[in-house]
Amino acid sequence: MLLQQLVNGLTLGAVYTLVALGFSLVMGVLGILNLAVAELFMLGGYVGLTLMLDGQPLLVGLGAAALFTGLLGVVVERVAYQPLRNAPPIAPLLSTLGFSVIFQTVATNVWGSDPLLLPPELMDGRYQLGSISVGQAQLVVMATAVGMVAVLALVMRHTRFGYGLRAIAENRDVARLLGVPAPLVTSGAFALSGAMAGVAGVLIGLHYGALTPFVGVEVGLKAIAVMVVGGTTSIWGVLLAGPLLGVLEVMTVAFGGAAFRDMTVYGLMILTLLLRPQGLLGRAGGAQRV
Amino acid sequence: MLAVQGLSVRYGPIQAVRELSLEVRPGEIVALIGANGAGKTSAVKAIAGLLPHGGSVTLSGKPLPRRAERALRAGLALVPEGRGILGQMTVAENLRMGGYARRDRASLPAAIEEQMRRFPILGERRDRLAGLLSGGEQQMLAIARALLSAPRLLVLDEPSLGLAPIMAARIFALVEELRAGGMAILLVEQKARQVLKIADRAYVLETGSLRASGTGAELAAQGLLSDAFMAAGAG
Ligand SMILES: Nc1ncnc2c1ncn2[C@@H]1O[C@H](COP(=O)(O)OP(=O)(O)OP(=O)(O)O)[C@@H](O)[C@H]1O
Ligand SMILES: [Mg+2]
Repeated sequence: MLLQQLVNGLTLGAVYTLVALGFSLVMGVLGILNLAVAELFMLGGYVGLTLMLDGQPLLVGLGAAALFTGLLGVVVERVAYQPLRNAPPIAPLLSTLGFSVIFQTVATNVWGSDPLLLPPELMDGRYQLGSISVGQAQLVVMATAVGMVAVLALVMRHTRFGYGLRAIAENRDVARLLGVPAPLVTSGAFALSGAMAGVAGVLIGLHYGALTPFVGVEVGLKAIAVMVVGGTTSIWGVLLAGPLLGVLEVMTVAFGGAAFRDMTVYGLMILTLLLRPQGLLGRAGGAQRV
Repeated sequence: MLAVQGLSVRYGPIQAVRELSLEVRPGEIVALIGANGAGKTSAVKAIAGLLPHGGSVTLSGKPLPRRAERALRAGLALVPEGRGILGQMTVAENLRMGGYARRDRASLPAAIEEQMRRFPILGERRDRLAGLLSGGEQQMLAIARALLSAPRLLVLDEPSLGLAPIMAARIFALVEELRAGGMAILLVEQKARQVLKIADRAYVLETGSLRASGTGAELAAQGLLSDAFMAAGAG
């Protein structure tokens, strides 16, 4: 039973991790919380699942979601961030919040506020591993998440874009002095962040077998908690905290009751803020400037 | 090589640099000296394209682009005040960042090896996080990294800041070595006496304005070496 819950928790945690990485990418580069990531996550889910319900294969659904929300991420950057780059940090926070509300309204109008239900036969395989039963959807969620994280790591470590992004995240002026085209790389960060969130949206739909226009708020807040617990701009911290919070949530429901579900997750977040504000793997005093 | 004319920088109501004109010729070390807050950093940041400014800046007769990432490609590399090391990247990754804007990317690995021969300590610590290096090692890394963009003009903002005298002397010796190799260098410093030993000429900045310029001997004759910077505890 415990192992079974562990698998369920890791699946949920995989989704949290991807969304948290979406937040963390922009946070690392600009030091702002791009709240629209939560709704890009939701929109990615609708785009991908709509295509899959239309008979398209999984990879097409995932790819289309990534493309769509990646591009929308750039739109958010151009409209909600660029013009406000010299304004106090609260300004872009509010303008990305504005985008969130718009995205949610659009989704409600296009897909309705009732849940979009996936027919069980879309992904109904189950595999028995000893005493644990793993659903096909769970495998897809975890494999995709691991794949996305691997791609992200490769991009960050081995591409020009990744080097530029890391340099900007650390010190924008120095990065520019070294020749990094800051505006271009910043747009790239928003695109990558949006794409990660969009893919995660498809995954959450597969995991729950349903999607609502409000899933962005719910999962988005959890992902912010993951980011805080892991250490705002620490990718390793997020990779640790995502699965941790997913498992914590599932275990709380299984052994404590659904009423306590969100209490433990946000409780852990508050505890982190009080006891270790830099997060599990964040650096003390290493808050991002710029 | 570098010609700056009527450079002005302001931060809101504060005018940090006022009508500064200076020149660096090929193969010269030119010092820009002045007390704390004189406007040295503001001036070089403006020249390098990090700050909006008035006046004109040309490199080899062509206007220098006003954005840092383009100014670098035009041949000006600035090692900023405080060194600008990317502390969460390794030494090797910092060096690779130095080649980010290089036209000829195929030659970067060989150029990095060359810098590691010049600074063996960087070779030894290649896989260590750059933030863990000592101040002197970081300064060497910053200079090596700047050289990897193959600049025509190297601008150093207080490279000796916070270094032990012996380390500062090494950095100055290195600057002389670079000049011998034909590099033009604009060297910002507070340690006037030491710098004037290696600089061909110097400009003295005082509260944003040019106070004097000339060779070390000329400046000493005007008694400037005692008042402008000694007050700031330099020397
Ligand atoms: N970002 C800023 N905003 C407002 N004023 C600034 C800013 N940076 C510098 N100044 C002011 O501009 C003036 C020149 O500063 P600058 O840093 O250029 O001097 P400096 O000669 O490099 O001094 P130091 O030797 O201490 O490095 C100072 O009065 C400083 O307070
Ligand atoms: Mg200075």
